[in-house]
Amino acid sequence: MTTSNDGMNRRRFLEVLGVTSGGTAALSGCSTDRVEKLIPYLVPPPNQVPGIATWYASTCGECPSGCGVHVRVREGRAVKVEGNPGSPINQGKLCARGQASLQGLYNPDRVRAPMARTTDGWEEITWDDALARVASQLAAVDPARVWFATGRLTGSLDRLTNEWLRALGSSNRVVYEPFAYEALRHANRTTFGVDAVPQHDFSAARVVVSFGADFLDTWLSPVEHSRGFAEGHAFRDGSMGKFIHFEPRMSMTGMSADEWLAPTPGTEALIALAMAQVIVDDGLATGPSDAARVQPILDAHAPESVADRCGIDAETIRRIAREFATEPSIAVAGGVGAQHSQAHITAQAVNLLNYVAGNIDNTVRFTGQRGGSTGYQELAGLISAMRGGQVGVLFTHSANPAYSTPAASGFTDAIQQVGFKVSFAQFMDETAAMADLILPDHDPLEQWNDSEPRPGHYALTQPAMQPVFDTRQTGDVLLQITQQVGGRLAGAFSATTYKGFVQESWRALQLQFGDRGDFDTFWTNALQAGGVWRETPTRVTRLANSVGTFADAPVWEAPGGDAFTLIAYPTAALYDGRGANRSWLQELPDPVSKITWGTWVEMHPETAAEHDIQNGDILEITTPSGTVSAPAFLYPGIRHDTIAMPLGQGHTSFGRYAEGMGANVFSLLSGEVAAFGGLSFYESATMVKTRGHEVLATNAGRSRQMDRGIAQAVLLGELTGEIEPHESHGGHAAPVPEHIERVLDEWQEAQYAEIESQGEYAADHPQWAMAIDLSRCTGCSACVTACHAENNIPTVGAELMRHGREMSWIRIERYFEGGEHGEPFESRVLPMTCQHCGNAPCEPVCPVYATYHTPDGLNAQVYNRCVGTRYCSNNCPYKVRYFNWFDFTLEGERFHAFPEPLNWQLNPDVTVRTKGVMEKCTFCVQRIRAKQNEAVLDDRDLEDGEVVTACQQTCPSDAIVFGDITDPNSRVSRLSRDQRGYHVLEGLNTRPAITYLKKVRNVAEA
Amino acid sequence: MKKKVGLYTGTLLGVAAMFVLAAMTTGSAQDVQITGPTVPVDVDTAGLKGPVQPVLYRHDVHVTQYEMDCRYCHFAAEISSSPGLPTMSTCMGCHLLAGAVNPEVEKMKTAWNERRPLEWVEVHELASFVRFPHHRHVNSDKGVFEGMDVPQKCMECHGPVDEMPQVYKFATLKMGWCLDCHRDSEVSQDCTVCHY
Repeated sequence: MTTSNDGMNRRRFLEVLGVTSGGTAALSGCSTDRVEKLIPYLVPPPNQVPGIATWYASTCGECPSGCGVHVRVREGRAVKVEGNPGSPINQGKLCARGQASLQGLYNPDRVRAPMARTTDGWEEITWDDALARVASQLAAVDPARVWFATGRLTGSLDRLTNEWLRALGSSNRVVYEPFAYEALRHANRTTFGVDAVPQHDFSAARVVVSFGADFLDTWLSPVEHSRGFAEGHAFRDGSMGKFIHFEPRMSMTGMSADEWLAPTPGTEALIALAMAQVIVDDGLATGPSDAARVQPILDAHAPESVADRCGIDAETIRRIAREFATEPSIAVAGGVGAQHSQAHITAQAVNLLNYVAGNIDNTVRFTGQRGGSTGYQELAGLISAMRGGQVGVLFTHSANPAYSTPAASGFTDAIQQVGFKVSFAQFMDETAAMADLILPDHDPLEQWNDSEPRPGHYALTQPAMQPVFDTRQTGDVLLQITQQVGGRLAGAFSATTYKGFVQESWRALQLQFGDRGDFDTFWTNALQAGGVWRETPTRVTRLANSVGTFADAPVWEAPGGDAFTLIAYPTAALYDGRGANRSWLQELPDPVSKITWGTWVEMHPETAAEHDIQNGDILEITTPSGTVSAPAFLYPGIRHDTIAMPLGQGHTSFGRYAEGMGANVFSLLSGEVAAFGGLSFYESATMVKTRGHEVLATNAGRSRQMDRGIAQAVLLGELTGEIEPHESHGGHAAPVPEHIERVLDEWQEAQYAEIESQGEYAADHPQWAMAIDLSRCTGCSACVTACHAENNIPTVGAELMRHGREMSWIRIERYFEGGEHGEPFESRVLPMTCQHCGNAPCEPVCPVYATYHTPDGLNAQVYNRCVGTRYCSNNCPYKVRYFNWFDFTLEGERFHAFPEPLNWQLNPDVTVRTKGVMEKCTFCVQRIRAKQNEAVLDDRDLEDGEVVTACQQTCPSDAIVFGDITDPNSRVSRLSRDQRGYHVLEGLNTRPAITYLKKVRNVAEA
Repeated sequence: MKKKVGLYTGTLLGVAAMFVLAAMTTGSAQDVQITGPTVPVDVDTAGLKGPVQPVLYRHDVHVTQYEMDCRYCHFAAEISSSPGLPTMSTCMGCHLLAGAVNPEVEKMKTAWNERRPLEWVEVHELASFVRFPHHRHVNSDKGVFEGMDVPQKCMECHGPVDEMPQVYKFATLKMGWCLDCHRDSEVSQDCTVCHY
């Protein structure tokens, strides 16, 4: 082989190859015998133009937060859900669960029509038959024996359910949310006499102290909190906030903390009281005048007297108290993962802390009172009524207590005593599976509804498309039942449809607002905006007569001996288990463990070493209530005496994606009602190592950076000049000699010379680039699911995840720092996607020019050119190229990822890839081209911020910025010039188009 | 970029008025005023190119004889990447009052009365990995499109539809054919203009 150019270049190679395979190519060319049909509409549907998306404002139904959404509809099908920028709750952003709401709508395991139980299973029946069956059951039963259990409902459906029951002659309404924050409500009743959950303004707080509240994962309204937290905490103009997190394990929220402190499990109340004591004693803040009343309580909890019990030294508590009191601050408590049997005491103590620091009515605002418990205690009432045979007919809607209560509660046994069980479930979940009749509800994206997620915020839900299956909206079904039953029930409602019933509520609302105008205008405007929101005045909150007893400040009794404290915590993806039937959420690597499709046991590596446990060893965890098995995950972010397991998996009935995955951790919990009326998510547990082992289905490689400087951080003091810059905080590019630099430049120019001479791209052209601010990124992974939704990315399942064959174009890399041998532990996150390198290693190795650099700075991947050599992927130092090992889109294939009707969700603007091609992040090129087309037709230039990638669009903390880097005034160019900016693996001289901005840590020393 | 909305709306009104007027003045649904050159009614269907459609919709008659603009039926071509397939109600908008009485029209009317859409056979099928934004082409004045009106631009790729009793694939629609035109017109030949 000679080194001279003998004419065998890539093109020539392919030409030769083409000759030899020409015979087959002629047979398998582009022509096809398949006949495609074009089916016209009979009449044009309103608001639809083919090829142009229609957007409907609605409300996310995935959790009680009530985020506003805009649903993108193409040719009559909802294909993407994005946040509604007008909604004051989420301001245009959504979490991973909100993004995955489409997989609820198109879930292949939805109940497709009314179902009745037969002796050996289920039969599909007609709606008329179903309604007649309910009517005859209701006619035969004493109304006082009719019960109705729902999840938290706040709008017209809540009113309808109550009025319907009352008209029937029953008052047996039960509201059950597994995460009802009973401890928080209980504490607010005790401390302030308010049965409500306040609003938390993180944006105004410069110091945030959380006592186990996972406010970025699941607590109350995580999207809103993420936005606020990024505003208040992220580094900007030389300063930033500070976040201190107390929790025995470092949750995803804890990963964003500047300081994570792991107190003895259950002793958070002592720390909060001690901080309050310091503030009052040292006169650090001017709280309300009656704050002095609590002084006797606080004096019993000086830092020195609690330090031993909580395991945090007194000086640390004093320092944090000083920091807390001298800046605008907020303290939060009441997360599910910190809800032990004495959690109400924690919340009461934190109420006092906020009170003496003057935060109440300031960063913590009570805007209204909403009565009614929604917690476990109420459900316990239903269980005992069922057991006592007092329930003749039970209706269940939007609640799945058969899964989400501890086995010890006895729900599943008690429900057998009910004569006739009617479920309005959308899916065949555990509770529906025990019913006699299922009247499937519409998905939130198919229905008319309204809700009031917080006082003054009236949100509307409207159908974005025709129902996928033969389902009916529960509101309509209730009204239809009234007509079937007849008599006094029929006369109780003037509305004949649920939409009419909702409109009745809104007529009343219009009057309440003093709006005397036309109702249709009011209604249309509200629909267009997604609802109506009014400022609700903050009520002045003062201490109640009794602020609670702290005499002996009861804490969670940590188990002794061999036992561990087991923490059952909720995850951002699966919530209380309702996310488990969505493949996007199952395949979303957990922000902390990076594990998919399963349950795990978090354990400190040093504890594991003592018991000779490795990652993936199957452990048997036993509590007084039950035993489950799960693989170990060694996590330096947990105390040595504590183990933790995520809730949400282990479904026995919830569709193909949920069933048989992991273990149900609810079954380990005690069924007892805690003092505050809820469940305790702490248990005393013993652990046995079995002989089993499994490879964790994770997308994480090493959890240590090994000095590669991938996720870099800097101390605040280093940026402000108070501390000498420290070498070890970040990697550096290898020094490049000048002559090499010159050669690189020439090579880069030469690569594009040919392309740039072609067509109009020879003119000035944008260079697309991205900046990702690591001081804002929390690792929540909403971007990952948004990318799945936008770019038709298949899910691959646990087996392929274990083989490292995941397809997700963006991953959140998570790295551990310290945490061993007593070092402080820190966790860093970094969204990693194609870097669109200016000098991309993947491009020159592609033999067919399937990957190349576009004149506008994209690293393109042309699917129809790709022949699947995978050279590009081999040569990519960032591991961001994904190969289609299988046909994920073909029915009948082993790894088919889009069973009907999940494929209805596919974005028509993005090619669905087939087996044998490489794919990767495109910087959402379809969005770029769409906006460019719009701009050309309007004869104008693109504006900065007009092109928004899917990941950027949904990012709750606004960490991702995209734009043209040749425009010196664009946001992305300004951020790229930031002093914190760096490129990952800069030393390889790949010249990435993504600039990362170093995380900033507000601590005195690393 | 010039928009041709005015012309478009004008055509719509013109065609609609033409039919209404014809129906009112003559009292017969068959006598429609012919404004353009007449096209022979009978054609030898066996000799026609292109796939056989469920209804022999005469593009030549509608375009030439009645001078209908392409955009009367393909209503989205200027504003969307998709040209828009006429709904059945578009057909009936005219044929309720006007149009010849012949078996092909009757087939369409029967389908309409049965609320059954006609299943047209796609003539210009693009591979699923290609994007062809109709609006960019119809609104373009560059290169080969310079000085053309919209129907002329349509026919640049779709062929002489005004002379086609049955539509056939005029161009290969292969990438080389696309690129020839992009090269001649000096517009972008970047892969990601069409492939993503």
